[in-house]
Amino acid sequence: MLLFLPAAVFFGPDARAQNPLSDDLPSGEHPLLLQPVLVQAVMCEAIERFKPVNNAVVFSISLGRVFCFTAFDPVHQETIVYHRWYRQDRLISNAKLVLNPPKWSSFSSMQLREADKGPWRVEVVDSQENLMETLRFSIVD
Amino acid sequence: MGQFFYHFFGIGWQGFLDIALNSYILFRLYVLFRGTNVLRVLFAMGVLWVLRQVAVSMGLVVTSWAMQGVIAGAALVIIIVFRNEISSVLQTKDLKSFFWGIPRYQRKTPVGIIVESVYELARKKIGALIVLPLNRGLESVVQKGIVWQGKLSKEMLVSIFWEDNPVHDGAAVIQGDRITDVGVILPLSKRTDLPSYFGTRHRAAVGLTEQTDALVIVVSEERGKITLVKDNQIYDINDSAVLEKLLIKHAGSDTSAAGVKKHTRELAVAAAICLICVTGLWFSFSRGMETLATQDIPVEFIKSDQNMEIFSSTASNVRLLLSGSRPLIRSLQPDRITVKLSLTNTVPGVNKLAVSRNDVTLPPGIVVKNIDPSLIEVFVDVPVKKALSIQPFWTGQISPDLIMTRAVTSPATVSVIGPHQVLTNMETLFTEPLFLDGITASGSMSAQIALHPATIRLEDQKTDRVQVKYTIQNRGAVSP
Repeated sequence: MLLFLPAAVFFGPDARAQNPLSDDLPSGEHPLLLQPVLVQAVMCEAIERFKPVNNAVVFSISLGRVFCFTAFDPVHQETIVYHRWYRQDRLISNAKLVLNPPKWSSFSSMQLREADKGPWRVEVVDSQENLMETLRFSIVD
Repeated sequence: MGQFFYHFFGIGWQGFLDIALNSYILFRLYVLFRGTNVLRVLFAMGVLWVLRQVAVSMGLVVTSWAMQGVIAGAALVIIIVFRNEISSVLQTKDLKSFFWGIPRYQRKTPVGIIVESVYELARKKIGALIVLPLNRGLESVVQKGIVWQGKLSKEMLVSIFWEDNPVHDGAAVIQGDRITDVGVILPLSKRTDLPSYFGTRHRAAVGLTEQTDALVIVVSEERGKITLVKDNQIYDINDSAVLEKLLIKHAGSDTSAAGVKKHTRELAVAAAICLICVTGLWFSFSRGMETLATQDIPVEFIKSDQNMEIFSSTASNVRLLLSGSRPLIRSLQPDRITVKLSLTNTVPGVNKLAVSRNDVTLPPGIVVKNIDPSLIEVFVDVPVKKALSIQPFWTGQISPDLIMTRAVTSPATVSVIGPHQVLTNMETLFTEPLFLDGITASGSMSAQIALHPATIRLEDQKTDRVQVKYTIQNRGAVSP
């Protein structure tokens, strides 16, 4: 039906210093505050050089694949996030992505076929099942 | 009790009640209208109806059509021509005599006073015309005189016909123990065989008895003779006993054992005929040739838990195949049939309810042969409210040179009400399809919200549209 492709991109080690909270709070005392901070979440046509290409909300089926790109900064500790792909409220895929400190970008993708046309959404959920972002898009002719 | 009646007689208690009630109504009609022309015309109509049925069964189209016309005309004639007789019957003094009593109109007439008065008038050679009506009203026949309503006495009767009295030329009407009217003008007979010595009074007496069942007493002014006219028969009275006997017979005051027995027998026969007619009619209605008919009846669901709501059902109507006699089937109205299903044992979700004969209420004499569908799936649940995001449902094809980078709806969410089970897993409502073809620049459009599944509804039914604002960029201009 479709091919799901999770992936991750590592960023520079100096990112940890960009989060003022992470230096002040001891790890494990405030789990909510120690969750990674989502700084970018987009749907795009491709990923090139660890960057999303052609951010959009409508994608042609002829592209063959669509990507969900997310960037986290800071990432206090190794953790996981999920990219949950829904087609018209029906869960199609749940991509588990590992994040590593100090900052991390990751993406997942979906290979498309004719039957996948219609409205979609991707929910970005942290390890505590907190909804971080919902991205809505459509697959068209 | 219904089972008892059905077991022994093949009809339910409703059938017994139906027959008894209508038999009594028919019997009361007979009692109230007996002796009147109304009853005769009604009887004639009944005969015509039977003849029409025979004509129909024989395929005599014109005859049956003509009979039908005559029956309709006769009904009109009864109302117009016999309105006075009908009103005199219906304007009864009390409800008891209307629903229960057996009317004997002249029963309390003081016959003795009349006899004495008539002989007094004859002795004094005072002309007199005395009318004693029976069942048929006089209103349509006579020219009304002066209302008197005086208690009957010999002195009063004599004084009414006294020569100097202004009303002495007309007739006096006696009903019961009262003189109701005086100076009444009666219709004259056109008979040619009447004796030459008969004057206007005699001719008027004969004229009235030709058209009514009244008894008329005439006292001749010239000869001082008494004549009694009844049913177009003329009796010369020479003996007061004969006069008294005729008056008693007319007044129905025959209290002898034979008279009471005869009267009772007449009523019993009438009651039996009424019972037989109604029973025959009832059986012809309910046990006639079986006829089948189908009716689509809406299903009524009876909720036991008021918090539960029906969100959908596989059928809202059931088709009933009904059986019964032709008249009952033809007169059957759909609103007299109900199909009620209880939701007492249902649980949230889809429930399968069997529609049985016990769930169908029908008029007596009609039975259910088949129910379609016999099983209905009903989705019941507790209604909940939830805010759902709205997402545009894009379709079609956007130009390859363009990219839609943003699309937002206003409002972004709407509140919907629906079954708990359905809304638990719902996060998004979509718009009706929005076509991309032709979109070349940023803009906005109005879109209808698609309510799917149908078990949900908007909390505010008026806001069923959203505004979709979209941003279009050229492919080369999109920033990574």
